[in-house]
Amino acid sequence: MDELEGQPEQLISFDVVVDGNSHATVSIDGELDMSGIDPLAARVDEVLGNGVTSLTVDVGGVRFADSSAIALWVRWASAVDEFELREPPPLLRRVIGAMGLAEKLGATS
Amino acid sequence: MNSVESVQRPPATSRRSEAAEPIGAATQARRPSSNLYWLPVATLVVGLLVTLALVLVSHSQYVSNEKRLINLRARDAAALLAESLPSTTSTMAAAVEQANFTDGSVARFKRLVGPEVGTKSGQFLSLSLWKLGALNKGPVAVVGTQPKLVTTHGNATALLAAAGRKPVLNVIGLLQPPDLRLGYAYANSTESGGYVVYGERPLPANRRSRLQGTSQFAGLDYAIFLGGKQTPRSLLVTNLAHLPLPSPSYAQTVPYGNTSLTLAMSSRAPLAGSLPKNLPWISAVLGIVLTIAAAIVTLRLVQRRRRAEDLAGRLEVTANENERLYAEQRGIAQTLQHALLPDTLPQLPGIQASARYEAGEEGVDIGGDWYDVIDLDGGRLLLVVGDVSGRGLRAATTMAELRYAIRAYAAQDDGPAEILTKISRLVSVAESGQLATVLCATIDTAERRLSLTSAGHLPPLLLANGDSHYLHAEVGLPIGVEEGTVYQSTTVTVPPEATVVAFTDGLVERRGESIDQGLDRLRTAATGQNVGLPELLGGLVRDMASGGAEDDIAIVGVRWTS
Repeated sequence: MDELEGQPEQLISFDVVVDGNSHATVSIDGELDMSGIDPLAARVDEVLGNGVTSLTVDVGGVRFADSSAIALWVRWASAVDEFELREPPPLLRRVIGAMGLAEKLGATS
Repeated sequence: MNSVESVQRPPATSRRSEAAEPIGAATQARRPSSNLYWLPVATLVVGLLVTLALVLVSHSQYVSNEKRLINLRARDAAALLAESLPSTTSTMAAAVEQANFTDGSVARFKRLVGPEVGTKSGQFLSLSLWKLGALNKGPVAVVGTQPKLVTTHGNATALLAAAGRKPVLNVIGLLQPPDLRLGYAYANSTESGGYVVYGERPLPANRRSRLQGTSQFAGLDYAIFLGGKQTPRSLLVTNLAHLPLPSPSYAQTVPYGNTSLTLAMSSRAPLAGSLPKNLPWISAVLGIVLTIAAAIVTLRLVQRRRRAEDLAGRLEVTANENERLYAEQRGIAQTLQHALLPDTLPQLPGIQASARYEAGEEGVDIGGDWYDVIDLDGGRLLLVVGDVSGRGLRAATTMAELRYAIRAYAAQDDGPAEILTKISRLVSVAESGQLATVLCATIDTAERRLSLTSAGHLPPLLLANGDSHYLHAEVGLPIGVEEGTVYQSTTVTVPPEATVVAFTDGLVERRGESIDQGLDRLRTAATGQNVGLPELLGGLVRDMASGGAEDDIAIVGVRWTS
């Protein structure tokens, strides 16, 4: 029953800023799973459609990311010329590493 | 958590029959509320009874209070009347004294009483002096008009004689219209030589009089009667054109000479003000209005309660229906999941294979996890475990596609690295947003040699000789990142009677916890377990998922039995 009552609590907040000619910074906080990523995906798709070719994703405030979230980042990384996943917390860095995606996602510290 | 093995139709249908019971229970729970309609009726009845009691009490209070007040007023008025008697007595007593002393001097009598006779208010119409013992000879002297007593009363002399026997004022009613008078006779001696004085005073014509000038009679209707009875014949004065007095009336009798006066009164307006008089009516109107209002409010409350109960019943039905649908959907998802996973695993000589699948707690959707064990040529197995990102039918169809593609490429005798390179064309994260992590391992059962390839997947756990560690192979990109990715294989040889367990991240991944902590917990849980392979896998799922696994879990193991 509990699963049916109401939407899951919104655990994610994000901010997308186009801060340059073709660069955008996406800041994400909270817990990121498939139940909450659609608004984020839609917003970033919008800026990607507007000619953004360089993307910095600040995930310093991400406490949890499931495979759907990681797949989303990989899709962004494939869609732009330059991609950087900035300041992933250690837990996240370990997951990305375990999936063989550290290089692909440009996970820097 | 339901394991795949236990997912059958029956659980769903049993949920359905459970759901039917609360609907009946809700109907039963609603039934008593209809009985509550007696409440407004009871409110009405009780309210009206209380109103009636209030009206009766306030009315009787009003009546008794008015009676008390008018009696007080009547007593005052009667006292006022009685006060007029001494002046009458003193005038006549003085005349009697003088007559007795002067032996009936007419001149002295006339001089004494002259000022008391006239037509002014309070004056006598007639005063006469009579000699007791010689009454039949007529009056000795008369001042004013001739006494009417003589003409109207045949036994006038007897009356005067009676007056002579007691030194009190004798009052005689001469109440035959049109000439209404009161006669007074006074003597203070019974001796035959004594004198009696007789006087007459007029009553107002038609016995009508207005005495309202005195406060004792203000606001009152009254009638004064001579004697103790209220009869028209004995009426002296009234302020009313017609008797009787309006009800309720109250009477007070006061002594008046040798007789008495009866003063009857009724008040034109309530003496205690209009509020006490109107209080019964006010009580009645207010009581009825309040009672009706209370009954309406009660009725509303009963109706509202009934609606709330109806709503609660419907919500309960809806909740039960939701629960049933949820159970049904979960059942469908798990049945479908089960259909997409292998029915049985190949069992080659000297090696045992087993697997489990556990839906996560939020498992109304079908998941993208899978496992497979494929018999390649009777001596080699291909062990596969994979996880497509996301959930639902899209994830499940991609999973099924990958699983059957791997089976097809395995049939072509491709090695695990080639297989993963080939299936990397089937998924594109750029197009579908999906990724898949896959672990592929060819197992040479006789040589106990594994050739491992990982497309972003977690390493398998090796259990041997009471110890355990992960078999780390080079980790390549997940399937779907880049088409045609080249993967590397890592070959390891395991000890006799070793167990290799591969799994998806649902088994070890927890929010707020490093994946390494999860991997350590799994290793700790698996180490030293001396049980059969299916029991081992079941135990690991149970231990690792205690507290509720969020994600689906696929786990597959092989064990060398010799």
